[in-house]
Amino acid sequence: MICDQCGERPASVIVKQKMQGQMTERHLCHVCAAENHNLNFVFEQDPMAIHQLLSNWFPKQQTSVSPVKKEVAVCPSCGFTFTKFLELGKFGCATCYEAFEPQLENIFKRLHNSNFEHAGKIPASYGSTLKIRKEIEELRKLMHVSIQNENFEEAAKFRDEIKELNLQLEGGVPDGN
Amino acid sequence: MAIERFLQPRASSWMANDGENVDIAMSTRIRLARNLSDFKFPYSFSEDEALKVDKEVSSVLLDKAHELNHSFTHINIQETPKLQREVLVEKHLISPYLANGTHSGSVLLSENEELSVMVNEEDHLRIQSLQSGFHLQEAYQAANQLDSLLEKNLSYAFHEKFGYLTSCPTNTGTGMRASVMLHLPALTMSHQITRIIPAISRLGMVVRGIYGEGSEALGNVYQISNQMTLGKSEYDILQDLQNMTEQIIHQERLAREAILNNSPLALEDRIYRSLGTLTHSRLLSTEEAATCLSDVRLGIDLKMIKDMDMSILNELMIFMQPAFLQQYAGKPLQPKERDVARAKLFRERLNKENATYEGEEFA
Repeated sequence: MICDQCGERPASVIVKQKMQGQMTERHLCHVCAAENHNLNFVFEQDPMAIHQLLSNWFPKQQTSVSPVKKEVAVCPSCGFTFTKFLELGKFGCATCYEAFEPQLENIFKRLHNSNFEHAGKIPASYGSTLKIRKEIEELRKLMHVSIQNENFEEAAKFRDEIKELNLQLEGGVPDGN
Repeated sequence: MAIERFLQPRASSWMANDGENVDIAMSTRIRLARNLSDFKFPYSFSEDEALKVDKEVSSVLLDKAHELNHSFTHINIQETPKLQREVLVEKHLISPYLANGTHSGSVLLSENEELSVMVNEEDHLRIQSLQSGFHLQEAYQAANQLDSLLEKNLSYAFHEKFGYLTSCPTNTGTGMRASVMLHLPALTMSHQITRIIPAISRLGMVVRGIYGEGSEALGNVYQISNQMTLGKSEYDILQDLQNMTEQIIHQERLAREAILNNSPLALEDRIYRSLGTLTHSRLLSTEEAATCLSDVRLGIDLKMIKDMDMSILNELMIFMQPAFLQQYAGKPLQPKERDVARAKLFRERLNKENATYEGEEFA
């Protein structure tokens, strides 16, 4: 038998490959087989793997859930559904991350060696807004406690502080520095 | 300071053989993916939003770049003729994805081409830093400084838990892809590369051939890059990549020694045949040129070929590509015509610099 690829040398290797459930068989000479080997390793790594990973994510669980499957998450900002995210392998906007958050942990773990939390750089501006947001959250809790205790004077003080921080947030974000 | 490095003219940074691995590690690249918080990502935004993003990013960068002692040129992709776009792709200054983009996009290039920002590629911003040789830290410093400057003036999409938000979940977190371009002829000849590649991928990194899409690693040039962007700091990612790259370089050196010891004459023959091909061909395909360039490069590394400047080979690797050839010719060329033009380019460039070879070989 002659090599399927070069059509010159006699075939000495049978290469069986399973792609999307289909088995292909090719008879290659030792030269082409060596090249092919290399080629597959090099180029089947990145985009395909991710795409396949994501597209294989849902179907099995989905089909078993049957009629009530309409509850697939939809991003309120760009309209991407979780299914579309899986098909495309891309997010439509920043809000998608919030909308699909429950499922993301597992996806990220698969893509990033079991990691799902950022451990790198944080934008300087974000660092300060984050602090203010957390402060506001804290003050809100205190305010509610005060109201429950009917200590309205104290609650009003907290309310004013929150108002001021909110102003800082609004004023601080658009022109950053 | 790292910044001083980037102010040097490009020619000197190419020649600056600093670092002992510059023969194997050809260049280093850092890419940071960023998005603006107030706009939908490029997969779902409207043309109107695309224009606004381009305008906002470009005006901030053009306005503030002087703070880093840089000046950028804004190139609108849609207004750039196709051939010129391809030239930018061949120089790795923009991605094919941006070049073929359907919505408004642009690239901002620093004067020495070492820094660039692609606008409206897969993400709103793709900050890129390019260095010759093996300089992961320096390349990152440059990208990071630019990123910090931009973030002061733009509102990035950032999530407390997930970090920098990107279109593709494979970039979420640091948004950083760091890569080193390696010339690995001996590991390829000895087929060791096919064992190394899968081993590396288990460690969160990827090796792939970079020139020639969908074919084997053209010219034995591979790119090693980090795959993971979430859960590790930029520093740790760079450190892992640094260590892995050093190991591969070490393996390549061992493989070169082994070939040199086992079959020196066969190797020398191969290298000189390739030199002959490059200096005397009348028809030269990209594949053949890449293979021969790899051999000649190895010949220089092993001191078999003397008096030839590596930087010419670096240039030719870029200039031999289809769009460059046509740009030089000033007209479109059919594949056959390109092979003629390519052969001529190599003869002229190599024989001019190394006039002695021609005489010797005909003697």
